[in-house]
Amino acid sequence: MTRPVLFGTAIAAVALVAAPLPAEPDVAKAVPNFRALDMHGKVVDLSQYRGKTVVLEWNNPGCPFVKKHYGSGNMQKTQAAATAQGVVWLTINSSAPGQQGNMSGPEAQKFVAGAKAKPTAYLLDPKGLVGKGYGAKTTPHLYIIDGKGQLAYKGGIDDKPTADVADIAGARNHVLAALAEMRAGKPVSVPETRPYGCSVKYAS
Amino acid sequence: MTAVRFGLMALMLWLFSGVAIAQAPGEQHVKIALVAESDHPAPGSEVTLAFASVPEKGWHAYWLNPGDAGLPARAEWTLPRGATTGEFRYPVPQRLTIAGLMNYVYEGPFAPLVTLKIPADAKGAFPVRVKLNYLVCTDAICVPGKADLATDLQIGDGSVSPDRRAQFDAWRAALPKPLGAEGTYQVEGKALRLAVPFPAAARTEGEGYFFPATHGAFDYAAAQKVVRDGDRVVVDTAGLKSVGPIEGLLAFGKQGFWVRAVPGTVPPAANAAAAPAQLPWSGAVLAFLGAVLGGLILNIMPCVFPILSLKALSLAKANAEGGSPRAEALAYTAGVVLVCLALGGALLALRAGGATLGWAFQLQDPRVILVLLLLVTGISFNLAGLFELSAPGFVNRAASKGTGGAFMTGALAAFVATPCTGPFMGAALGAALVLPWPAALAVFGGLGLGIALPFLLLGFIPPLRRLLPRPGAWMETLRRILSVPMFLTALALAWVLGKQAGVSGMTLGLAAALLATLGLWWTGLRQRRGKALAWLPAAALLLIAISSIAWVQAAPAEAKTVSGGEKFSEARLAELTAQGKPVFAYFTADWCLTCKVNEKAVIETEAVEKALADNKVTVLVGDWTDGDPVLGRFIERHNRAGVPLYLWYKPGEAEPRVLPQILTQGMLQDLAAGK
Repeated sequence: MTRPVLFGTAIAAVALVAAPLPAEPDVAKAVPNFRALDMHGKVVDLSQYRGKTVVLEWNNPGCPFVKKHYGSGNMQKTQAAATAQGVVWLTINSSAPGQQGNMSGPEAQKFVAGAKAKPTAYLLDPKGLVGKGYGAKTTPHLYIIDGKGQLAYKGGIDDKPTADVADIAGARNHVLAALAEMRAGKPVSVPETRPYGCSVKYAS
Repeated sequence: MTAVRFGLMALMLWLFSGVAIAQAPGEQHVKIALVAESDHPAPGSEVTLAFASVPEKGWHAYWLNPGDAGLPARAEWTLPRGATTGEFRYPVPQRLTIAGLMNYVYEGPFAPLVTLKIPADAKGAFPVRVKLNYLVCTDAICVPGKADLATDLQIGDGSVSPDRRAQFDAWRAALPKPLGAEGTYQVEGKALRLAVPFPAAARTEGEGYFFPATHGAFDYAAAQKVVRDGDRVVVDTAGLKSVGPIEGLLAFGKQGFWVRAVPGTVPPAANAAAAPAQLPWSGAVLAFLGAVLGGLILNIMPCVFPILSLKALSLAKANAEGGSPRAEALAYTAGVVLVCLALGGALLALRAGGATLGWAFQLQDPRVILVLLLLVTGISFNLAGLFELSAPGFVNRAASKGTGGAFMTGALAAFVATPCTGPFMGAALGAALVLPWPAALAVFGGLGLGIALPFLLLGFIPPLRRLLPRPGAWMETLRRILSVPMFLTALALAWVLGKQAGVSGMTLGLAAALLATLGLWWTGLRQRRGKALAWLPAAALLLIAISSIAWVQAAPAEAKTVSGGEKFSEARLAELTAQGKPVFAYFTADWCLTCKVNEKAVIETEAVEKALADNKVTVLVGDWTDGDPVLGRFIERHNRAGVPLYLWYKPGEAEPRVLPQILTQGMLQDLAAGK
């Protein structure tokens, strides 16, 4: 596939998802649906995963807090553990063109391969439509959606808001904890935390 | 050699590129120095440490609550045994919105302060080490930094060099002051309203903003509307949910107040100026009707009436020649109203540039009252016939022709006749200063409509044209009579000024009015003699009169100490206690509601003043309104972060008694009686 064709598809798909999303979802409330292009130029529709647990992870490879969790392998481990349970993991990049972390499809493929990341799909959201619709503020910022399409968790990946890799060892991984509780049919004990990291680099 | 060195550098660059910037040891884009107020702290004392920080241009560091993203700094202390540190105390931060996300930051030099407790048994060298983890960002990228900071203290006498003291005083001045009273907030749906007790008389400068320190209740990026509403400040913004007691920083410009608030019911601000949507209709309608009446009266002013009669004649002519007097009347009306609205709009734009706070607050400013007093006095004397305001002659000529289109004539009549319509334009201007903008515009529109009304009637009801009264002496008489209510208004304003700025303020205001009147009188005399530049003396004297606002401003500050109260100073206190005299020292601030309540209800009551005087108790008053650092240190020594602070020095007792923050008359009477 040549570049212009890819670009054309991208434009078409962006037009497809350009409908404005409702306001930021609350825990235990239905989440808004979205459609976005993944790094291979394929349209991913959230509703296609209805019935499955879905994790959304906001990503910007240039952000030191993202580097903390990718450089240490913590994020990849979390992704692998989640997908092994049948959870769908969508990594979303809402960096606008010209901003830190903004990537084309091939660049994203290179990042995912290089970091040995294990998301189900890596989505490109350069217009920030998905990000703003979910109220994503930081990278990383994580959301868990249950099989009924309701928000089960939103917040940080863990409880140590630092950029220091050494802090991962003693931290509570909120995402894995919530997924385990959901699998056991228990309510999520910590359904909302304060996310930490760099600001999402939306278009200004 | 060069090649080897180049190779090494390339290797280093490769190692540190991309990933490694974050991990590079040491400082990142912000210079931080750890400074102690005293390098020789005394054992068992407290010494203030400062993280003097200077971010590079384009970079910002974070407040204790970073906002939507970012991180506050974290300190890991290594201290000699027994030493402890307190929380970071941050200066008032700045707001920085990047792509719709709110950041609470410092873009320029700032210094968080920390209190270090020295153990009582400390001696010799006292090394202080701290590892500071922080985040610095530009609007595009973020970099975590680490700083290993150290300062080596020597236990000593606690002396502070004058330079250090001055520097720390400046840093302390930037800290928010603790606002003793507790606020209330409510979250209804997505609307959050916070009310903070704050005396109506306290002065604030700059835009108001509440920086939430507690996370979860506020939507940081949402706009805030901060309004002074009587004895409180009301903040309306978007919220998320109620999260129990919260803390935050209420800022007006660089002034900051530390606030605690609990969930509760918060009634909306009554201040209509800041809430145009809730403006009572009756008020707006009343203002509008008043303006129409004013405009109507304007028609019998000597300079407008001739225009009107000339236009009436031209209307009659138009009628006879088969023209449309109705269309002409409507066009004239449109011209007058539009020019009035444009004038009003321009004024409102000026007003918006001047202040974002509620304008009822401006009425509490004696300076505004003084200007209004001068204005109303001028209007009164004009009505009384001391001087005349005349329209330029060409207006009359242009209006009589009626060839340039009725609309233009109307516009011209309203605009160029402004000097002559001055008195009522002046009143409308006064209204525009104090009313919310829709009502203010309605006043201007009403004024225009009033001016055009007779003409409109003449256009639509032809028989009226014959009834048009002839210009004559009756107009003068009516004008003289109208001056009476205007003079009464001036009287009322003088009274308000007296209430606000004391006898001296009122005298100053009346003197300014006298000066302005002399100028206007002189002008009137020159006018009667037909002199050129008749306005010269009035303009000069008016300028001097208006400049008097510079003095009236300071008046209330001097007039507020209690009778028999002296200004507090440590020297005076030491002198009095050395003489074995009982002293009641109290510390207050204009923005402290608890202080004001105590003063009005207890300290300044006759019973307490009598008890204090009878027992020869000296009252010392410390005013901390501007955050005077000398007073601040004195207050801190009594384990209070701010006001109110009430100290009772009883002869024979080494330490003062610290009285509770809520005083009663009985308590002070008993203390005065030596019980």
